[in-house]
Amino acid sequence: MKKERGKMPEGLKIKKKSSDTILDFLKNLFESNQISGVITLNRLSENGAFSNSIISSPEDLKFAVPLYPLMPSNAGGVVGHITRQCPFSVPIAVVLRPCELRALVELKKRNHANMDNLILISYTCPGVYPLEMMRDGKVNQLIDQYWNSIKEISIPQDIRPTCKGCEEFIPYIADITIDVIGNDDPNSTRIVANTEQGKDIIKSLDGESAEIELENERNLEMREKRREARKQLFEENDSEGLGFEGLIKSFGKCVGCHSCRTVCPICSCDLCYFDSRKTEYERKKFESEITRKKGIRLPHDTIFYQMGRMAHISISCVGCGQCADVCPVNIPVSTIFMKVGQAVQEAFDYVPGKDIEAELPVTTYEPEEFVEVGE
Amino acid sequence: MKGAKINHDGDIRKPIINLLKAGLEQKIFDAVLIPMRIPSGESFAWILTQDVDVLDEAYPLPPVISVQGAKALSSLTRLGEADMKIATLMRPCEIRAITELNKLQQLSLDNISLFSIDCPGSLPNDEYMGDAEKGDEDFSSLLDNWNSDRIRDICQICDKFSITVSDIHIGLMAGENKDMFIIPNSLKGEKILEDLKMDTDQDLKNWSSLIEEISRDRKQKREEKWKEVRKEYGRADNLLNFLSQCIACHTCRSVCPICYCRQCYFESDAFKLPSYNYLERAQKKGSFRLPPDNLLFHLGRMQHMSMSCVSCGLCEDMCPMSIPISHLFSYVADKNQDVFDYVAGKDPDEPLPLTIYRTEELEIIPEMYTETHEERERKNA
Repeated sequence: MKKERGKMPEGLKIKKKSSDTILDFLKNLFESNQISGVITLNRLSENGAFSNSIISSPEDLKFAVPLYPLMPSNAGGVVGHITRQCPFSVPIAVVLRPCELRALVELKKRNHANMDNLILISYTCPGVYPLEMMRDGKVNQLIDQYWNSIKEISIPQDIRPTCKGCEEFIPYIADITIDVIGNDDPNSTRIVANTEQGKDIIKSLDGESAEIELENERNLEMREKRREARKQLFEENDSEGLGFEGLIKSFGKCVGCHSCRTVCPICSCDLCYFDSRKTEYERKKFESEITRKKGIRLPHDTIFYQMGRMAHISISCVGCGQCADVCPVNIPVSTIFMKVGQAVQEAFDYVPGKDIEAELPVTTYEPEEFVEVGE
Repeated sequence: MKGAKINHDGDIRKPIINLLKAGLEQKIFDAVLIPMRIPSGESFAWILTQDVDVLDEAYPLPPVISVQGAKALSSLTRLGEADMKIATLMRPCEIRAITELNKLQQLSLDNISLFSIDCPGSLPNDEYMGDAEKGDEDFSSLLDNWNSDRIRDICQICDKFSITVSDIHIGLMAGENKDMFIIPNSLKGEKILEDLKMDTDQDLKNWSSLIEEISRDRKQKREEKWKEVRKEYGRADNLLNFLSQCIACHTCRSVCPICYCRQCYFESDAFKLPSYNYLERAQKKGSFRLPPDNLLFHLGRMQHMSMSCVSCGLCEDMCPMSIPISHLFSYVADKNQDVFDYVAGKDPDEPLPLTIYRTEELEIIPEMYTETHEERERKNA
C-alpha cells in the first residue's frame, strides 16, 4: 500500500545531477531485472520533437530526458490509455510529473487505468513550457535560464500559466521522489523513498543516506511564490472566468474542435456525450428556435459543451494545462478550469490524486452535503 | 455566362447583405446561415437567423475560416425534415465540402439555397486573432491583389476559388472596376434572381477570362508545390520526421469537414490494446512512442478522407503545433482523386469512386501497387 508523502523520510544525497541519477537507477533496475520497461519523456528526433515513450532496453535510455520541461502529452493519461484493458504483468518504471501522477490516480478511481506493477518515480516539479515552444526549439535556448531560476527558487519565465500557479508540485504517492526544487546544488541529487518498494530501490544507489523532508524551506518558499502567482492569474482572468457574460466572452471564439477534451487526461470517455447522438438535433428544432431567438450559432452547444465538460471533470482536474496548450484559438481553458476546479474541490474537501484510497466525492453520499446544497 | 452587375464601391458586404435581406423580405427564403463576428471581435461564428436587422452585422466573406461552413450546415440539416427555406453563402471550398458531405449523406440540401462567392483566400486564424484590425485591412486589399502572400499557403495554390456547384454565384473578380456579379448557377438560382427582379443580362466574358487566367497560374504553382512535397515527405522516414511534432490531439480530424464519423476509428476500442501489446512493440524497436499509433492515425485518416478532401486547409490552420499538414493531405488527395478521375466537390451527380465498381480498375490497381517508390520517382523525373 502506498503511504502518504513525508511519512517515511528516508533518503539519499547523491553527487550527480538529478536527471543523470534518474537514468542511472533506471539502468540499474533494468540490469538487475527489476523492471521490464520504462515510461518517460523521450527526445524523438533532431528537429526538437519530444514524446512520452515506453522503453524496453537500457541502451535505449540514451534518448530519455525525464526532467525536460515539456509535456507533449499528460503521461498519466497515456499510462491510463495503455493499462485500461489490463495491468502490466511485469514491473514497469514510470517517471511522472506530480500532475501526471495525480491524473493517473484519478483515472484509476474511474477504472480507466490500472496501476499494478508500476514503479512510480516523480519529482518536485518546476513546471513546463507551452507546447508551441517545442515547435520552434525555443526550449533548448531557455534551458539554462530555466535551471537557474530553480536554483534561485523563482518561477521560470514563460512556463505555462497553470504551472506558474501550481501549488501541488510535490508528488503525493510516488515510490521515489527526486527533490528537484528543494535542492540548492544542481550537481547533486536529493532522492526520497516513500514506500517499501522505493526503499529497496534506493538501497542499490551510491550516496550518503540522509533524512530528507520534502516540505522543506525551499519548497515552502516556492509554494508561497506559486500561491501569489495563482492569485494573480485568477485575478487577471477574473472578468472572463465566471458568470454567463464571462462564459460568452471566454468561449465565444471556441470552434468546437473538442481538442481540450482529447488531450485532457481526465476526459477518458469512450464516446464523449457531446459527440454522441444525444447532442445531435433535428433540423426542425433549430428552425423553431430561431422563431424565438434572434439567431442561433451553428455548430450548436458551444458553451454547453464547455460547461458539461467542466461539470464532468472539475472535481478531478489536476491543472496540467494541456487543454490551453492545444486550443487552436488560444482560449485560456486551463486557467478557467483550474479556477472552477479549485472551487469544486474545496467544496468537497478533495484534492484530486492525493490519496488513492479516497473515494471520488460524486460516488459517495454524505448526509450533511444534502443540507449544504439545500441552503 | 451572364449575370447581374452591381457596383460595390469597395464594400462588398453591403450589396450581398441587401440581396439576402431582399430574399428574406420577399419570403424567397425564411432564414439565412451566415458568419458573424463574435462579441470579442477576433473571430467569426456561423449564425442562423431570420432577423433582417441581425443580417446587418453579417460577414458574408470573413477574412478567416473559423469553422468550415459545411460542418455548420451538416449540424443543421443532418437530421430530420425541413420546415424552412434556408439560404447560405460560403466559400467555394466550403461548398465543395457540402457537395461531398451530401454524397456521404451527412447533410441534406432539401430547401437549401447555396450561394458561392469568388474567394481571394483566407488569412491564418492565428495571425488574425493576434491583430484583427490589421487582418481586416489586409483582407480588404486582397480584392485588388489576387496573388497576395498574406493568405494561407494552401490558398495560394488553390485553383478552385471561383464558381462551383451552387445556386447563385457571386463574382468578385472585376479587374480595376469595383463591380461584383450575381450569377445564376442553377434553375433554382435563376428563379430566385427572377423573383428578386434582377437583370441578369450582363455579359461576363471579362470575369470568366480573369478567373481562368488566375486559375491556370495557381494550377501551375500547385504542380510545382507538389514536386516539393513529393521530395520532402515521399519516404516513410521523412514522413515520420515530419509528423514527429504531432501530439495526437486530433484537432486536424475534428475540424476537417470530411471527417464526420461520430467516433473516429482511431479513438475507438480497437485502439485500446492490452498493456503487453505496447511493451511487445517496444521490445521490437527498443522504444515505442506514446500515445501510440500516431503515424497510423494520419495515414488512416488520409485513406478515409482523401477522396473527398477539398483542400480547405483547416487541418493546418488549427494545428496547435503548426505542422504544415494541409500540403501533405492536399497532395495525396489530388493524386488519389486523379487515379479515379474524380474531383471532390465538382459534380454532385458523380458517385464517390469507392461506392462504384469498374472492371478495368482491377487491372490498374495491381500495377500501381507493384511499382516501387524508386521506379515512380524515376518515371516522374
